[in-house]
Amino acid sequence: MMVDACHLWLAMRKVKYMADNVTARGKKRLLKPFYNAGYIKAWLYLAPALLFLILFTYYPMVQVLWDSFFLKEYGAEKKLFVAFDNYRRLFADEDFITAVKNNLIYAIGTVIPSIVIGFGFALSLTQSSRFKNCIRSLLFFPTLVPLVAAAALWIFIYFPGIGLLDYYLAKLGIQSTDWLGDPDIALYSLMILTIWKNAGFYMLFFIAGLQGIGEEYYEAASLEGAGWWQKLRYVTLPLLAPTSAFVFVIALIHVFTHVDHVIVMTLGGPMGSTNLVLYYIYQNAHEFNDLAKATTATVLSVMVLLAISFFSIRTMERGIHYES
Amino acid sequence: MKSFNRIKKITITLPIAAIIVILMIGVSWSVAAEKINFYFPTSVQGPLTREMQKMVKQYNKMQNDVKVVATFTGSYEETKIKASAAVKAGRPPAVALMSANFIHEFVAEDQIEPIEFFLKESKQTTSDFLSDFWPGLHANATVNGKLYAIPFQNSTPILYINADHFREAGLDPDNPPKNWEELVVAGKKLIRKEGEKTTRYGLMLPMQYNYVNWVFQGFVMSNGGQYYNTHYLGEVYYDTSTTRGALQFYSDLIHKHGIMPASITNSKQVSTDFFAGRTSMMILSTGTLSHVRKNAQFNYNVGFVPSKVRNGVPIGGASMIIFKGITEKERDAAWDFVSWLTAPEQLGSWSRFSGYFAPRKSSYEMPVMKEFMAKNKDAAVALDQLQYAGPWYSTFKTVAVAKPIGDAIQAVVTGKKTVEEVIPEAQRKADELLKPYNAAHSYIQGQ
Repeated sequence: MMVDACHLWLAMRKVKYMADNVTARGKKRLLKPFYNAGYIKAWLYLAPALLFLILFTYYPMVQVLWDSFFLKEYGAEKKLFVAFDNYRRLFADEDFITAVKNNLIYAIGTVIPSIVIGFGFALSLTQSSRFKNCIRSLLFFPTLVPLVAAAALWIFIYFPGIGLLDYYLAKLGIQSTDWLGDPDIALYSLMILTIWKNAGFYMLFFIAGLQGIGEEYYEAASLEGAGWWQKLRYVTLPLLAPTSAFVFVIALIHVFTHVDHVIVMTLGGPMGSTNLVLYYIYQNAHEFNDLAKATTATVLSVMVLLAISFFSIRTMERGIHYES
Repeated sequence: MKSFNRIKKITITLPIAAIIVILMIGVSWSVAAEKINFYFPTSVQGPLTREMQKMVKQYNKMQNDVKVVATFTGSYEETKIKASAAVKAGRPPAVALMSANFIHEFVAEDQIEPIEFFLKESKQTTSDFLSDFWPGLHANATVNGKLYAIPFQNSTPILYINADHFREAGLDPDNPPKNWEELVVAGKKLIRKEGEKTTRYGLMLPMQYNYVNWVFQGFVMSNGGQYYNTHYLGEVYYDTSTTRGALQFYSDLIHKHGIMPASITNSKQVSTDFFAGRTSMMILSTGTLSHVRKNAQFNYNVGFVPSKVRNGVPIGGASMIIFKGITEKERDAAWDFVSWLTAPEQLGSWSRFSGYFAPRKSSYEMPVMKEFMAKNKDAAVALDQLQYAGPWYSTFKTVAVAKPIGDAIQAVVTGKKTVEEVIPEAQRKADELLKPYNAAHSYIQGQ
């Protein structure tokens, strides 16, 4: 959803740019920008996408914001206007605070490692050869497995004592670990699953990005006597900036919008140690009959997602300038 | 010649087409069965889902007035969510099989039809109708004295033991531990260790959120407690001696005696460990009986949940409800289907297939059922325990109110906190959640 909004915004900027070019080619800017032909055409192109975005994205967002100021107590007949009381209740809820904290740990602990690993895979597998293609597909494989199925599989990997992981760790002399049943470990177990699942996906973007970098840059760098590290630092990384920014946004959004594994593996337990914000919203809306709290938490997380999206579009635009 | 041919063609084809159309209308008229939707969950996917579809097919074939479209809707929780969503969208299913402790939520939102409404039409009284159902089931099906649901599949927690381990440890497998003291004695003898590491535990219990409270309610009841107010939705008894005692017993089993692991084991893990011989005893639902019967590669036996001051277990399971907001015809069709599905014969066959016990006493008077019970002694034990069964916790905002005590149990099990620390906190959180209900329904001075 957020990604759609980003795309739309980018498209609008581009259209404006095109429109400006069109009018600049003409003799004079006679009309106000909004009425000129290029602009109307641009809006017409945008209309279908915009219509659906308004219907299914912007309108629900406004509705959710509006609803967050009301409370319909479960079983009661009337909806009451409570101003910011839902927000007060939300921040007074220890479970919400725990979920936010968990989500932060989860974000930092999955986004950075999976991007770094994905980038590492990409670096070593950029050049095509039959062997490398094969490895690439293997590394990409976890992406093809739906998260629900992956979580169901990993339950057996994490099984204490007789699970795959403990079975092989035992051969190394490491005692069995309660991967999902120990409140101090469970969140990290989910993070490992997430990194496993996503690194290959990000690798794909990086490979595409790397293949877009011209060989001449590296030749030039070699002539200047740059070593491997210097090439990476001063050629690859800057030229890869748009890709990295994009992957970073995708990864961050993933963190807030995917909780299938929480539902399948832990139900947010033990003791709320694996509860994430989206699962907290789900629980309050459907299990705890506290729709108002769920709505309010939704408003906050949408705001965070919007902030992430707009912030990173800026960086992405900067990246695009760099490319041209 | 050509035009004549065309006319001839028309004169021939037209009547034929007309006849076909009339026939089609006629046929569809005569089989214009009332189509109704039925949502059902299963706790174990696969075989139970297929069996349910089979029963529905049988009903559809048997008569021409009603066509039931059965939809498998996932777990108990998911079924509740899907049914509520369908109601909000203005297209409720006609019938749903609903977790017994969620019934009152549909009543509070005025979404389901009281069963009295249908009983009146067939000139039955509620008490006559209910008298065939086990007494422990009445409370969960009734809200404020009115019957809203018909029990369909029910279960209680039950103790499963590995008979081979018992014999090997010098214990009598025909006499599973009857009370808490015997449980501790047996448990200690059954543990196996390799150095510091426990390779076999005495007992395992399901500790994940949606299962932990149910088994724990059984221990509270065994300890003489109530757990919640069965007559009033706004009260739970967490900060009581009986609840503290039950939780202290959990703590002792784990941290004092080492009989149970200090881990949040989920039910799948518990049964797998039982089958793998990594635990000698487990307490799970009687609904798991068929699964154990199929998968245990050793001799097993079952027993009552061990008692402290009395025997006591909560009843779990699901009941049939009929929704409001459907047409009169659909409602009649729904009642016809529900009456058929909850007749003694169908309840009996579902029970034999699934391992749940049949909610009607008369199911057990049928010859097939008598034969089955004689063959399966474990099913008979489960049935015997029913006389001590009480209703499943069900309060205002059931799942939310259950969470604080679930968290408390998990904190004690993992050794993060003590009983004294968690109990008052659980009560405080639950009371906070129950406040709106008490404000609206209870007579409290000065509030």
